[in-house]
Amino acid sequence: MGMFNRLLSSYVGFFGSINAKRQRLYNNAPKGALKDFLAVPFPQPSTPFEQVPILAVDFETTGLNAVNDKLLSVGYVNMQNKQIKLGQSYHQVINTGQKLKTDNVLIHRITDAQQAQGEPLETVVENLLQALAGKVMLVHFARIERQFLQQACLELYGLAPVFPIIDTLALAKRRLDKRDIAYDPSELRLANLRTHYHLPNHFAHNALNDAVATAELLLAQLSDQHQEKTPLKALLF
Amino acid sequence: MNNGLSEIQHFIATVPPFNELSEKMIVKLSQTINISYLRQENLLHKNQTEAMLYIVRTGALAHFNDQNELQEKYGEGDICALFCYQNSNVKHKSANVKVEEDCLLYSISCQQLQLIFTDQPQILDFILRSGSKRLSNKMTQLNEEAVLSSSLMNTPLTSFYKSPVASITADKNIQQAAIKMTELGFSCLIVLADKNTLNERPIGIVTDKDIRQRCVAQGLSFNNVISDIMTRDMTTIDCECSAYDALISMTTQHIHHLPVTKNNQLVGMVTVTDLMNQEGLNAVNFASIIHKANSVDELASISKMLPKLQIRMAKLGSTADHVGKTISAITMAFTIRLIKMAEKKLGQAPVSYAWLAAGSQARQEQFAHSDQDNALIISDKMQPQHQSWFTDLAHFVSDGLAACGFIYCPGNVMATNTKWRQPQSVWQHYFSQWVTVPEPKALMHASIFFDLNTIYGDESLLQQIRTKMLVETKSNTLFLAHLSKNALQLKPPLGFFRDFVLTQNGNNEASLDLKHNGIAPIVDLARIYALAEGVSAVNTIERIKQVAGSPSLTKSSAANLIDAFEFLGLLRSSHQAKQLQAGTQPDNYLHPKEISRLEREHLKDAFKVVKTLQKARQVVY
Repeated sequence: MGMFNRLLSSYVGFFGSINAKRQRLYNNAPKGALKDFLAVPFPQPSTPFEQVPILAVDFETTGLNAVNDKLLSVGYVNMQNKQIKLGQSYHQVINTGQKLKTDNVLIHRITDAQQAQGEPLETVVENLLQALAGKVMLVHFARIERQFLQQACLELYGLAPVFPIIDTLALAKRRLDKRDIAYDPSELRLANLRTHYHLPNHFAHNALNDAVATAELLLAQLSDQHQEKTPLKALLF
Repeated sequence: MNNGLSEIQHFIATVPPFNELSEKMIVKLSQTINISYLRQENLLHKNQTEAMLYIVRTGALAHFNDQNELQEKYGEGDICALFCYQNSNVKHKSANVKVEEDCLLYSISCQQLQLIFTDQPQILDFILRSGSKRLSNKMTQLNEEAVLSSSLMNTPLTSFYKSPVASITADKNIQQAAIKMTELGFSCLIVLADKNTLNERPIGIVTDKDIRQRCVAQGLSFNNVISDIMTRDMTTIDCECSAYDALISMTTQHIHHLPVTKNNQLVGMVTVTDLMNQEGLNAVNFASIIHKANSVDELASISKMLPKLQIRMAKLGSTADHVGKTISAITMAFTIRLIKMAEKKLGQAPVSYAWLAAGSQARQEQFAHSDQDNALIISDKMQPQHQSWFTDLAHFVSDGLAACGFIYCPGNVMATNTKWRQPQSVWQHYFSQWVTVPEPKALMHASIFFDLNTIYGDESLLQQIRTKMLVETKSNTLFLAHLSKNALQLKPPLGFFRDFVLTQNGNNEASLDLKHNGIAPIVDLARIYALAEGVSAVNTIERIKQVAGSPSLTKSSAANLIDAFEFLGLLRSSHQAKQLQAGTQPDNYLHPKEISRLEREHLKDAFKVVKTLQKARQVVY
């Protein structure tokens, strides 16, 4: 894509601005994984959903605070043409160098011993940035993945990147809000939404498994609303 | 499988043929999966050029033919191989598969499958081969297992022989031997070399029979040494051999005792009785005890062992053909014994006659506790005053059979019914009538009485009728057309959907009627082929084998039909064995939950074979 086109597209609406932000960050980023990631433009906002390259991502963390808590594991799977490609998936435990709190281990089921076998944060983030370049991140409840990835990049490269996100929780919430009927917020949980769409039960709290579960949920959500041709911008978080 | 895809891998590991795979292969396979979600009313494999295998994770698919008739349904855990073909250069007719309920689908490209399973061709074979081929592989495997699981083949003699052996040294006299045998209650002793020799080397054997034949009958003094009457050069068997070897050795040499040795030292003895007990109740000793029974009560108590025999045979993996022939042979033995008892009671038969079995017993496809179908053909020489003798015979035998657990025929097809106790000429007339005027009731009778077999009496009576009848049926296309039409009303289901049986009109039923929707349609087809080709055999497999390669049935279709028949029979036999063991009345209703996914696949294959041949028959007439 020529520079002119790129400039033009960066002035089109909100999405244009995220590509413009990306460009500005690219100029300031130090050489390395983050700069490489920022070098690739995000998909055009008008791209129909079925053509958008998507990376479904899930993190397991030691807590909810991106500054104090640590990233424990990363899982992702690629999705293209409405197909979740298990052959292009990844799961990695991170060695945080800290002892894990017992109550937390019960949730993510990653033990200290497994953690010790894990990769350093930098290796895992590099891999993730490489896989995510030029794609849209898909998560369930965007805050965790966005904040933890930005925080990790801040620590590693001194710069927090931007990236477009589709959030299955936000899509579900939007749908429920539209109905104008009170609902229990627990309906928005990944497992409950999957049940709603008759998707099979899944073993929660493994990062890759949750990433696949989220991707399946998105396919079900969008087929339900006949939104396969929906332009990307209508889905973004 | 402790990675993020473990659930998908666990699921895949339950889907045939992948259930045979190692964990490592399952992991490898899972990485080739693409997941997609298809909404109701969509078409599967639309805009897809690559050959694909589909696995339904949730939801349902339905396959229709060009006439928009339902062919098959796929639910959770079913694989759909309609779009999976080996040679991607060949243009394949596209199948019409609709999404019936929103589907989460796993798809795997067939090219990838071929790469992964280069070393396991059986997996690809299962997916790519036609149903009939798959069924034939399964039957070959089951038949081999039946031979191997035959208990005698598997049992080493070591776990078998009795030890220590009653023995006597060669220097003792005949009386001492007889005393020892009487004390021990044994009918034979092993004769050992003199005490002076260091080892216990067996040099001969002496039995009751030797004392009788070689001593008493010859007037030999019982003070003679035992070595005078013992059998030298006796056969022995090494304890490393199998029980089967021992049985063969004894039956070929007509001996009942076989000393067992280890490094040429005597260690034990095995007898025919020991082997028989191991093999359990078998048809041979069953027939012999029936033969010895002297009253109906005795026969009735013997008959109580029949279900046990059927359970045992099913457990040993015997084919349904084998079970059917065995049970039929035993029923025949009961019947003959009862007829002989009747003849003893009523006196000599006034004229010649034949006692006939109809239906499953005639076809030798009977299972324990089925109902009795029988008839009497009497010589045309019969006079009116002879009537009562045959009436008494019919009642005695029929009541006796009922006492032995063979319930009275609900349709009254029994020799006690005057209609089915007639002279030969009347029977001849019946058959001509059925063949020339094929009205519904006639057709029903035809299907019972075209399966007839002489159990006792003058075989020529039935043979003469059959010969004439076959000439008539062979040339009477109208009769065959009516018989076909009638037979084709019993249709096998399409297959299974979830835990239900999917019928041809798309209904879900809770259970499969193995008899009416599987076995009977094959029996009917075989009968039609036999009548059309003038084949006199009555047993279904025999009929199919004899018509194979004729205009009615190609050789390959015949092989497929036999496989289907055997597989259905095997399922019925194991289903009934379970019921008999639980002490419940055996029936033919199989619930899909009773059988594995793989067995369901094979059943579907069997149904397809029957369906194809039924269709072919429809076209012929």
